[in-house]
Amino acid sequence: MGNLLIVVELQNGKIREATLELVSIARKLAQARGDTVKSVLTGQGIDGFAEELAKRGGGDIYAINHPTLACYNVDAHFQALRAAIDACSPELVLFSNTPSGWDVAPRLAASLDAAFVSDCFNIEVRGEERVFYRRLFNGKLDAQLTTKATVTLATVQPGATAAWSGTSEGSVHKLDAAIQEGKLRTRFVEVKTADKGGVDLSKADVIVSGGRGLGAPEKFSEVMQPLAEALGAAMGASRPVVDAGWLPHEYQVGSSGQVVTPKLYIACGISGAIQHLVGMKSSNYIIAINKDADAPIFEVANLGVVGDLFEIVPALTKAIRAAKSA
Amino acid sequence: MKIVVCLKQVPHQDARLEVRPDGTWIQEDNLKFEINSYDTYALEEALRMKDSGGADVVVIAIGPDRVTQSLRTALGMGADRAIHVNDPKTQGSDALSIAKILAAIVAAEKPDLVFTGLMSDDGNFAAVGPMLAELTGMPHTTAVMKVEQKNDAVRAERELEGGALEVVELTRPCLLAVQTGINQVRYASLKGIMAAKKKPIETKTLAELGLADSISAETSKVKIEKIYSPPKGESAEILSGSTDAVVQGLVAKIKELGLL
Repeated sequence: MGNLLIVVELQNGKIREATLELVSIARKLAQARGDTVKSVLTGQGIDGFAEELAKRGGGDIYAINHPTLACYNVDAHFQALRAAIDACSPELVLFSNTPSGWDVAPRLAASLDAAFVSDCFNIEVRGEERVFYRRLFNGKLDAQLTTKATVTLATVQPGATAAWSGTSEGSVHKLDAAIQEGKLRTRFVEVKTADKGGVDLSKADVIVSGGRGLGAPEKFSEVMQPLAEALGAAMGASRPVVDAGWLPHEYQVGSSGQVVTPKLYIACGISGAIQHLVGMKSSNYIIAINKDADAPIFEVANLGVVGDLFEIVPALTKAIRAAKSA
Repeated sequence: MKIVVCLKQVPHQDARLEVRPDGTWIQEDNLKFEINSYDTYALEEALRMKDSGGADVVVIAIGPDRVTQSLRTALGMGADRAIHVNDPKTQGSDALSIAKILAAIVAAEKPDLVFTGLMSDDGNFAAVGPMLAELTGMPHTTAVMKVEQKNDAVRAERELEGGALEVVELTRPCLLAVQTGINQVRYASLKGIMAAKKKPIETKTLAELGLADSISAETSKVKIEKIYSPPKGESAEILSGSTDAVVQGLVAKIKELGLL
C-alpha cells in the first residue's frame, strides 16, 4: 500500500518524545492498511540521530543535512521537507503540532494542493479511509474528519498517545534539498527564554488559578488572592487573563506558559482550552469551579462544582480559614 | 504602506453551542457572532502601524450577510475599507479553499503586509495564514507576539513552547499570523462608528474573483463527518447542593489530601 512519512524533530540533543508518538500512530495505521513507515530528519550533523531513529520505529530515513536547517527556518525547512515528500510520494505526512510543525505544515499543504488536518489527538483506519479526530471550538466539541486528496498532511497533538518503544529495521538515505541560502526570505535571529519574573509555579504544592470567568482584573485580589493566602497556595491564571493584561505572563499556566504538577490545582472560572489543560492536567488532584457544566475543564477535573465562583470561592476561603484555626 | 487584515466571524466565545441535526456543524440560527479573537489582535496591530506611521488598512472577510456587522466593527475601529466575499458556495470550505479565495484578493491588492490571526476560535485549524502566504509567494511567521518595522523587512517575535520567544526577520511583503495577547485591543469609539458608516464595503462573489468553478463544499479536501461533545473524564465527580454543602465537600477533600 502507501507510504507514511514522519517529520522528525530533535529537542535538547535528543529525538523529541512527540516524534516517537508519531511513530506509534504511523505504526498503528501502517499495520491496519499495509502501509510503509518512513521518516525525514532535517538539521546539521544529524546522521547519528537518523541511524538511531531507523532502529526505533522510524523505518527508512531521509536525512537532510544543511547549515540553514540547524535552527528552525521556515523557508529552509519548507524546501527540505518538500524534497523529502517529492522523493517519498507519501499518502500521509505526520508532523507534531509544535511551533515548527504548525508553522511549516500548512504552507507545505498549500504548495502540494494537499488535504490538511491540524492538532489531531487520534488517527484511525476505517476500511480504506483514515479518520482524523481533533478538537473544535477551543475544546468545547470534538470532530471526526476524513480527507479526499492524493496526499494528506496532519499535525498531531504532543502527548496525545504513548511514545513508540519498539524497534524497526531501516536504512538512512541522504537527500540533498539544494537549499539556496541567498533565496531564504526569513532569517533566524535568536531565541529569548521565558522570564518567570520570580513566579515559579513548578514548586508549589497548591495552585489556585483564575480564568476569564473572573470577569475583571480586580477580582484576582478580591476573590482569588484570599483563597490562595488561606491555603498557602501560589496563584496562577489562564491565557485569556494574561492576554487581557489582568496579570503578567509569569502567572500563565499552559503550553505557552508554565507546565505545573502540584498536589492540588483549583481552577476557578477556567473553561479549559486545550492549551491550558496541557499545562495542568498532570496535577495530582484537580478541583474545577465553573458555571458552565459543559466546560472542558470538568473532563480533566477530579472534583467539580457547577456554580457561581463569586459565591463559592469566598465561602470556601472562609471555611478554610475556620478549619485552620479550629 | 498598505496592510491587509483577514478577519473571520465566529460564534461568540460564550455562546452555547448545539450540534445541528445532520451532525456536521453547529446550529447557527439565533447564535451571537463576533470577530475571531485572534483576528482582533491582528487588526489592532495593523491599526497601531496606521496610527504611528500611516497605512491604508484593508479588512477582508468571507461569509454570509451577517459578516457585514463584523466588517462595520473593524471599520469603526479604524480600518479604511472592507472587502466582503459573500457567496453561498463558500459554505463548508476547508482552510485551503479559504486561503485560495483570500489569495485572489491579496494578489489584486498588492499589500506590503498581511495580518491574520494564528487560528480561529471555531475551527482551530491554524492553517489559513501560512497557506495564504504560500499561495501569494510571501514569507510568513506564526504565533507573532511582537512586530517591528525595519527598512524593507519586519522583525517579529514568535511564541514557542513554555513562553520562550523566537526572533525572526522577514523580507516584505510578508504575512504575520498573530497570537492573542500581542497588544490590548481597542474598542470602536462612537466617532469611529459614525465615520465607519461612510467607509466602503465592497462585496464580491466567487465568479467576480474568477473562482466560480474551483471553490465549493465539494472541492474541499477536508470533510467534517461528525461533531460531538467530548466524552467527560471518568473521575470528574460533581458536588451539588447548597453553597454550604459544596464548600464542606471541598474542605473535606482538601483535608483528605493532607493539604489543610
